[in-house]
Amino acid sequence: MNETNQETVAPATWQNGALIRLRQITRIYQEGSLEVLALRGVDLDIAEGEFTALAGPSGSGKTTLLNIIGVLDHPTAGRVEVAGQDIGRLSKGDAADFRLGNVGFIFQAYNLVPVLSAYENAEFTLLLRGLPAPERKSRVMPLLERVGLGEMKDRKPHELSGGQQQRIAVVRALATRPAIVLADEPTANLDSDTSAGLLDLMLELNQELKTTFLFSTHDPVVIQRARRVIRLLDGRVTGAEVLATV
Amino acid sequence: MLWRIAWRNLWRHRTRTLTMTSAVAFSYGLCLFSMGLGDDGHQQMLDEAAEGAGGEILVHADGYWESKSSDLLIRDASGVLATVESAPGVRAAIPRMIINGLVSSAVGNRMLFLQGIDPQRELALRDLSEHLELGEFLDETQRDDPLLLGAVIVEKLELDLGDRVVLTATQPDGEVTRALFHLTGIIETGLIDVDEMMGITTLDAAQAAVGAHGMVTQIGVMADPGLVSDSVAEQIKVVTRASGNGLEVLTWQEAIPEMVGFIEVDDAFLYIYLVVIFAIVAFAIANTFLMAVMERVREFGLLNALGLKGRGVAGLLLTETLLMTTLAMAIGFVLGFAGHLAASHWGIPLSIYGVENMEVSGVDFASLVMRSKLNPMKWLAASILVALVTIGSALYPAWRASRLAPSEAMRFFG
Repeated sequence: MNETNQETVAPATWQNGALIRLRQITRIYQEGSLEVLALRGVDLDIAEGEFTALAGPSGSGKTTLLNIIGVLDHPTAGRVEVAGQDIGRLSKGDAADFRLGNVGFIFQAYNLVPVLSAYENAEFTLLLRGLPAPERKSRVMPLLERVGLGEMKDRKPHELSGGQQQRIAVVRALATRPAIVLADEPTANLDSDTSAGLLDLMLELNQELKTTFLFSTHDPVVIQRARRVIRLLDGRVTGAEVLATV
Repeated sequence: MLWRIAWRNLWRHRTRTLTMTSAVAFSYGLCLFSMGLGDDGHQQMLDEAAEGAGGEILVHADGYWESKSSDLLIRDASGVLATVESAPGVRAAIPRMIINGLVSSAVGNRMLFLQGIDPQRELALRDLSEHLELGEFLDETQRDDPLLLGAVIVEKLELDLGDRVVLTATQPDGEVTRALFHLTGIIETGLIDVDEMMGITTLDAAQAAVGAHGMVTQIGVMADPGLVSDSVAEQIKVVTRASGNGLEVLTWQEAIPEMVGFIEVDDAFLYIYLVVIFAIVAFAIANTFLMAVMERVREFGLLNALGLKGRGVAGLLLTETLLMTTLAMAIGFVLGFAGHLAASHWGIPLSIYGVENMEVSGVDFASLVMRSKLNPMKWLAASILVALVTIGSALYPAWRASRLAPSEAMRFFG
């Protein structure tokens, strides 16, 4: 499916019309009296429609970077733009609105709302956006069918396997038709077959919907499925590779 | 959707929900039940106090209550009685002749507090025949010199029914006189002070004994239901002042102020008790909710990450509280109302708590049977207060939940 074409490029200059643009992003956490430097002057551009992996060992800053792009966290210094909008200093309320309107999340631990059914989880963000029931259904059901869970829409998360839960999380992330889907180690809790299936699904949706996917991983098998890989180490971007072109 | 999530969340954390619900339900039910008992106890105390005083309002010759002097009598008893009865708000006027004297038998003599009463009129305040242990009550006997004596006096004087006794007392003109009575009945109230000194006869016999025909010591007044004795007392003052008799008109609260203090203290204890219950419930709920918030940090962080704003997260927690409170109060109401019905039906005698001789200002409380009295407005006020306390106790935890940073809540750090 992917044609490997390794090429190292400077992240800041990879594309001029970037959807996501990070400049000199630094994030320092205060752990008691210690300062932990999670990101150290990261520059990065992500273009619309990319299917990109953030690769690096644990503690390299992958999740922190995803948090900042998803406005779950603010950078200590630097500028972060999404579609030209500076999102680095949004208030909590504006940040929630921004996430609801622009970002879909897929988490390592699935993080479905346990008391809601598969369908209710998938439509949750649409409900927060105030969409009427028929429109919610018209958006959610095709996606559920698309991921093969249309028959299981009434099941609660604990009645689904890990892979099924993660596919519901994918549907939830895509239901709002976001500009970006951020996935934090989405396959970490899945076996290799399920991981491969999920990555295939994400890639197909990326191609069909032209949604930008940015996901973190340290699994070499997963990294190979990305079309571009950004490598992180100790809070710095150490390299970027284009593995495939569409 | 928030309602749906909130409701389902309650049952996902079943043990916690049941613990909190039962705490609120039990406290609320106990609160309603306590209020029912307290209100009934309060009313019974008022009734007992009025009964102990001789009426809700007392009319005497001016200065009598302070001095208890036997020469201070209402001279024109029938005229004053008619005047008092004519005052607005008066339900019943009960004339009495009160004589402090000495009763003698063949073996000795005892102090006697003798009340000459009209048995029919007296029923408006109390049924003294309830205390009759032996013999006949005043309206059952054919004798014109009947006397009912307290059981202790009868025992000390070694008397039997039908025996003759002599009353020695002071006439209105100050002369000492003697009068013969026949023991027609023995009364026992359970109060030692009363049973040692109490004597009852007819109004006519008492008046004849001290040569005070047409005179009375006291007119006890019962007001129409719902009227405040203060206002009726003012009406009586107006009509009696106009008739020119030198009379004093006292409410029972003025006559026995120490009883008012006792009832106020009793009420205060009830309110303190309720405040303590509320405080314990509020503290327990606030702590449980706070723990629940800490347990559910990740869940709240997830909702926030998905786009639910802080106030939405707080709203979710408050919705859960509202649902739980509604459920708890429904259960609590059933418990409280069942307790109210049971207490109303069977009553709780104070004697089962070992209260045997509880007397304040001559008023017997030991014989009280506590029942429950439903005061809808008070129950409504208590229900609103419980709801506010319960929901209020969740405000801080909800505020904490709304302030959680989603990244920290979800412990993202890669």
